[in-house]
Amino acid sequence: MPEPPIPAADALDEEVRRHVVVTRWNDLIATVDPVTSWGRRSSLWPLQFGLACCAIEMICTAASRFDIARFGAELFRPSPRQADLMIVSGTVTKKMIPMIVRLWDQMAEPKYVLSMGACANGGGPFKEGYNVVSGVDEFLPVDVWVRGCPPTPQALLNGLMELQKKIDEESFVGAWKRRRRPEVEVPALGPDLVDRRQIPDIRAAAGKGEAQRLVEMKLKPVLKPAPKAGPLSSLEASDAALKDAGMKLAARVGADHVQAAGHALVVDRSVWGQAARVLRGEMGYDFLANLTAADYEGTLEVACHLYRTDQTGGQLAVKVRTDREQSEVPSVSAVWPGADMQEREAWDLLGVKFTGHPNLKRILLWEGFAGHPLRKDWCEAYYEEPRKMFSSRWKEGRVRPGETRVRWGRNVIYPDGFDPSTLPADDAVPADSGNADDRHLPVSLGPQHPSTHGVFQVRALLEGERIVKLEPVMGYLHRNHEKIGERNTWIMNFPYTDRLDYLTSMANNLAYAIAVERLAGIKVPERAEYIRVIMAELTRVVNHLWSIGFLLNDIGAWFTPSLYAIEERELVLDLFEMAAGSRMMCNYMRFSGVAADLPEGFLPAARTLVSERLPRAVDTLDKYLTKSEIVGSRLRGIGVLPRDRAIAHSASGPVLRASGVAYDIRKAEPYSIYDRFKFDVVTAPGGDAYARFLVRLGEIRESLKILDQALAGIPEGPVIEKNQYLLRPPAGEVYSRCENPKGELGFYLVSDGEGSPYRYHVRAPSFINLSAFDEMCRGHLVADVMAILGSIDIVLGETDR
Amino acid sequence: MRPWGFFLVRGMGVTFGRLFNGFWQGARRAAGLPGTETHGSGATGVFTVQYPEERLPIPERFRVLPVLIYEETTGEPRCTACGICAKACPPQCIWILQAKGEDGKTRNRPEEFSIEANVCMNCGLCAEFCPFDAIKMDHRFELADTVRKGRDILNLQDLLVSSEYHARIHPKGAAKEAEARARKSAPKPAAPAAPAAG
Repeated sequence: MPEPPIPAADALDEEVRRHVVVTRWNDLIATVDPVTSWGRRSSLWPLQFGLACCAIEMICTAASRFDIARFGAELFRPSPRQADLMIVSGTVTKKMIPMIVRLWDQMAEPKYVLSMGACANGGGPFKEGYNVVSGVDEFLPVDVWVRGCPPTPQALLNGLMELQKKIDEESFVGAWKRRRRPEVEVPALGPDLVDRRQIPDIRAAAGKGEAQRLVEMKLKPVLKPAPKAGPLSSLEASDAALKDAGMKLAARVGADHVQAAGHALVVDRSVWGQAARVLRGEMGYDFLANLTAADYEGTLEVACHLYRTDQTGGQLAVKVRTDREQSEVPSVSAVWPGADMQEREAWDLLGVKFTGHPNLKRILLWEGFAGHPLRKDWCEAYYEEPRKMFSSRWKEGRVRPGETRVRWGRNVIYPDGFDPSTLPADDAVPADSGNADDRHLPVSLGPQHPSTHGVFQVRALLEGERIVKLEPVMGYLHRNHEKIGERNTWIMNFPYTDRLDYLTSMANNLAYAIAVERLAGIKVPERAEYIRVIMAELTRVVNHLWSIGFLLNDIGAWFTPSLYAIEERELVLDLFEMAAGSRMMCNYMRFSGVAADLPEGFLPAARTLVSERLPRAVDTLDKYLTKSEIVGSRLRGIGVLPRDRAIAHSASGPVLRASGVAYDIRKAEPYSIYDRFKFDVVTAPGGDAYARFLVRLGEIRESLKILDQALAGIPEGPVIEKNQYLLRPPAGEVYSRCENPKGELGFYLVSDGEGSPYRYHVRAPSFINLSAFDEMCRGHLVADVMAILGSIDIVLGETDR
Repeated sequence: MRPWGFFLVRGMGVTFGRLFNGFWQGARRAAGLPGTETHGSGATGVFTVQYPEERLPIPERFRVLPVLIYEETTGEPRCTACGICAKACPPQCIWILQAKGEDGKTRNRPEEFSIEANVCMNCGLCAEFCPFDAIKMDHRFELADTVRKGRDILNLQDLLVSSEYHARIHPKGAAKEAEARARKSAPKPAAPAAPAAG
């Protein structure tokens, strides 16, 4: 029973409390708390760490318009040991999560996680993908969730303020106690991602034939037969050029080895190596634009799309077929070095074995991954149905998120009988550390590195300070674009193409729209054509501005030039937001037009920008950078790619033109209405990083010229013929390409007459331009690698897809 | 050949030029002079948006998460559970449970309508193809939260907003839709009178 209070003591207590602040231990802490919390919340040092599209918005938040410095959080630290805030900005992939967890473990307490964007929160639009972790909270303790796809910079600042509020409420003692939080165990990469906490369960389930899925697959994917091949004489009159090429080829490799299927030649695989040499050497097809494969019933078909860089003859599609179970196709990477990485990709994702390939290992996934995911019958954990819309969504749409449907409660699936005890120990170093010996030093840059433009890894072998050999390692942002794309209906792929090269979403939209329009024979109204060109060229301007800014970043001009570049970019993004509703993920083009007409005020604003402000900005960049002694000494003679090597490596875009090849698809194979505008193809002779810088600068000026003409000539009229969400192009296939800011963006689409593509492949310029990376870097210093990478200008969303 | 450091000094000139221009334009703005806006293609001076005190103007087409519209006058949701948004949704984050009457027959309204907020890619295709103007893209972007579990699936109650709110954030779009609806529901012009039997 409590003692009755003594009135006098109460009064005394009151008096003491009024005049003396600290009477108890808790009060003492309470006076310290606001000070420590204030200090902590006002000097958050984020880890300089970006994963995907959201990272671009994070960078914009740090730039002058939104200025995260106002919140005391501008000190982005490249080292986790100096950072206390991890902004998980973008899609967390299975290949990347071990690095993310390791970075988190290396940060010192008190530390915080801010999960930015739908992907980091819960997998986002890529949730169903086989290489995507559905939410970073599966591993890390998240403090604040920021919604949006992507969240705008203001939304991120809102999240930061939310975190500050949370820190304000935190007690000094509580934060101190957090120091004893255990480390998060680094997950392992086996046949799929393995969370080490689940190992006992997985071991128990091994070999028991336990269901891998809670729900049985109702609809299994269906394999279609490959198009029938016939003799060359079966080709129609409209394919005269193809027939001609086929005859020439047949004369050299044997008549019964060359056939025709659709609008392509089918070469027997026994003579494919010889045929490739004939095609490249005698017939002049020196540019291998695209090499990929498609999965058919019993057959794997490798498709190559060839061009001549002298711009004669148009496209030549050549195919090679092989058995699906015992695939074997001769590698042509010796004939066209640009095939090297594309063949590795076809092996990785489709399991086409290329004999004679010097380095046939997985490129986007990791060694040990179970299966080849782009095969039609390979189904991931969250697989529902072969095509969208999924029948569970409507009429009886009771929410069942992916994780509630699968055996392990997350996006993983293991082959029956998988024994997790075969996994390497937690602290194991990668077994292949290059061919190191006492003279050579292997060095790994990335995937978490401030200058790799995202989650990209470079494995270099050094002799002294010089690069002897270098291997690009990618796939840390492989978000299964193609697998998802083959389930999507045709229109659903538009917002996904936004997220390929997330700096140039409008141009990606355009390339995809044109590809499908070619496949389905759709016409576009005049006004829409103008709007498309305006958007695509504005995109080129912002991409090159960004790229020049960050090239300067890479050579040590830390953030200042990029701040100026980002400022101009923001104004163009305002236009995009006005017309399309989003700064980055525009989703603006549709088949047969654009989603909506230009809003009121768009054209005047665009005209002011194009005729006054942007030319001034380019002049400023030119004036201060082109002749700068630092830019010259860091870029001249660095990463030289001679003309013939650039073509051999299938380089495209500014990288190709900087090697002196005047090849621009807008001129070589005009699409949309580009043939109506006057502009020049910018080239530079040097082939070095400096030449690539000059080409980009020149291209901004040329784009402004096109924009001037387009903004002056835009007619009135409808902007779309027919906007429909269900499109069924006739059965057939197309390889269609556009000159994207980064190079040739191609779409290889195969339609079987259904509502979604049977095969959907993206020829990504960022990916293929990297195939010359090794050659460019050899003999240079480590510091030059970053300058060269910056001058190639890659975006990982597109590299890894 | 320029003397050593020439470009350094010139570069600093840019930096300081901008610094002073910021003050100068600020002073001009304070004096109410024209041509000193902070946003838009003619922006001058300090470029920073002082969020949260100041916000960027939101264009009408801006899109974050979808919302469902209910009629201000009747309180009834416009949604008829036709499922077109679910058919158009690229990441398939829309789940619709169609209502059933006591007779077991389906009704044209949703019993439950859910959106997985962490899957939605804010693309706006649902709003674009909805024939009933029932689903629209919201402008609210300040959605940061310290909790995720239980808040990542938005249900019918979370999603509903009034038609008046829709008209406020999408003034032009809503007016256009209202006009189209009026045209549709207007009684068809009477058929030309049959020629009088002679």
